[in-house]
Amino acid sequence: MRTLERVNPHHRFSKKNMIEISNLSKSYGRHKAVDQISFEVTRGEIVGFLGPNGAGKSTTLKMLTGFLPPTSGAARIAGKDIFRESLEVRKKIGYMPENVPLYIDMRVKEYLRFRGGLHGLSGGRLRKRMGEVMETCGLTQVRRKMIKTLSKGYRQRVGLADALIHEPDLLILDEPTNGLDPNQIRAIRRLIKNLGEKHTILISTHILSEVEMTCNKVVIIDEGKIKAADTPENLVNSMRRAGRVTVELQAPKPEVEESISQIEEVTRVVGESLLDGWNRFTVFAAPKTDTRLKLGRLVAQKNWSLRSLSRQIGTLEEVFIELTRKD
Amino acid sequence: MRIFRILYLKELKTYFLSPFGWLILCFSSLMQGFALTATLKEFTDNAVAESLVSVVFNSPIFNIYFMFLFPVLTMRLFSEENRSGTIEGLLTAPVRTWQVVLSKFSAAYTTFLTLWIAAGVHFYLFTALTDVPPPFTNGELIGAFLIIALIGMLFISYGCLASALTSSQIIAGVVCTFILIFHMFLGLIPKFFGEQIPAAGFFNFISSPRHLVDFTRGLINTGTIGYYITTAVFFLFLTFHILDFRRWKP
Repeated sequence: MRTLERVNPHHRFSKKNMIEISNLSKSYGRHKAVDQISFEVTRGEIVGFLGPNGAGKSTTLKMLTGFLPPTSGAARIAGKDIFRESLEVRKKIGYMPENVPLYIDMRVKEYLRFRGGLHGLSGGRLRKRMGEVMETCGLTQVRRKMIKTLSKGYRQRVGLADALIHEPDLLILDEPTNGLDPNQIRAIRRLIKNLGEKHTILISTHILSEVEMTCNKVVIIDEGKIKAADTPENLVNSMRRAGRVTVELQAPKPEVEESISQIEEVTRVVGESLLDGWNRFTVFAAPKTDTRLKLGRLVAQKNWSLRSLSRQIGTLEEVFIELTRKD
Repeated sequence: MRIFRILYLKELKTYFLSPFGWLILCFSSLMQGFALTATLKEFTDNAVAESLVSVVFNSPIFNIYFMFLFPVLTMRLFSEENRSGTIEGLLTAPVRTWQVVLSKFSAAYTTFLTLWIAAGVHFYLFTALTDVPPPFTNGELIGAFLIIALIGMLFISYGCLASALTSSQIIAGVVCTFILIFHMFLGLIPKFFGEQIPAAGFFNFISSPRHLVDFTRGLINTGTIGYYITTAVFFLFLTFHILDFRRWKP
């Protein structure tokens, strides 16, 4: 049964928020594709929506664009309810669906004219916008070509130009670099980064480097649930592995382990003997701490020979795996 | 209205800016020519009591190619959008579902109507190029084109529904053909079971073969006109809900 939240007409939505999702769910029969997710996207942010295949990314985006109705919960885009004010919401969104479906029998220019028309553009303004988006997306040279003759990279650009034509407040891109070669991925990524200066962008992807390079916020979803929503830096710093430090010393293992364990933030020390007579110690510490300074002082004080001291910097990939791993 | 116009023109282009629409036009003109020629031959060989219009539009050739037109015209409409996924782009643009349904229907219907220009020209040529008095009256001709327009409206709405149900053009075509055969069968029930059955009146009222006979004799019935328009609207309404179901199913 649908249990949509009642929208209080007097409730003032934050002008700052472009997307507000509260307890949004979608079930296909018994399968819960999206399970009570809530998050917000502030105006001007580029948000990466991450998750393994089948995590519920596309379903969430389809709900936001009004293509699928939510089973329960509510979401607002620029203060408009996605279910009740679907048409208004759709005017504010530029959406590029997964795999970029296009009318392949149309020419690029013809297609953009058609899509621009649907978004209410006409006459000189439509012509101007077509010129601008073709320029932005690098389509000017292929504007007279049939879409079916274009390569995947170009089709992807046509999809992006389509999403941009009406200067939407919010761009929703579902796996925009899926199936592209590294050069094309780079070009699209650069394009998205430039677009981020004017638009709020929500990108779904499972390519993590993409998110690290373009997004200023990350939402990680798995099995229909939000696992994390923060800036990439915060996520990386709050990782379990983030505080880990490796030291290579020439000193007796038991003594070193004993001494390092005394340091306040350290939770565990594991030593191993290397083949060249040195010992390597892995120091586990609480997240968001840096024990390097204290370790340095300790080494100096004890007069141990030291050849390396490094703190592991987590990557988003590690965060992602830590949060979504099944074992 | 602007959105409707844009969608309508785009659909119309898919018929006429590809060989598809021209092939159908060519095929139907050819068949219309055959039907007329065969009928004229019959007229020269035997004495025929009916008018030329009535015989042409009730000839076996006509019945065969006429039924063939609708699956071909409509099977692509929604199924192709479903298959390629373009329906997602279309329905996430600020367009209303009824605009999509109506534009597709209108484009198919416009194409269907243009197919009959050739038939109109045939009859005009008959009067213009021969010195024999035409074996038909204008009333019969108007009645014939009117009933073709009405039956076409209903049958194309059947086709729209069939196409919206699936993402396969073939299945859409087959389903449309089944609906047409079933529709024709309902109209022929009194012929099989006799006019004395209680429901004969109803089946006669909805019988397209019977309407064809009546209208091509110049007997224009407003009840029949109402029947075709309302039934076509009903099937378009169903098509609308098939598409819109996606938007509100929980």
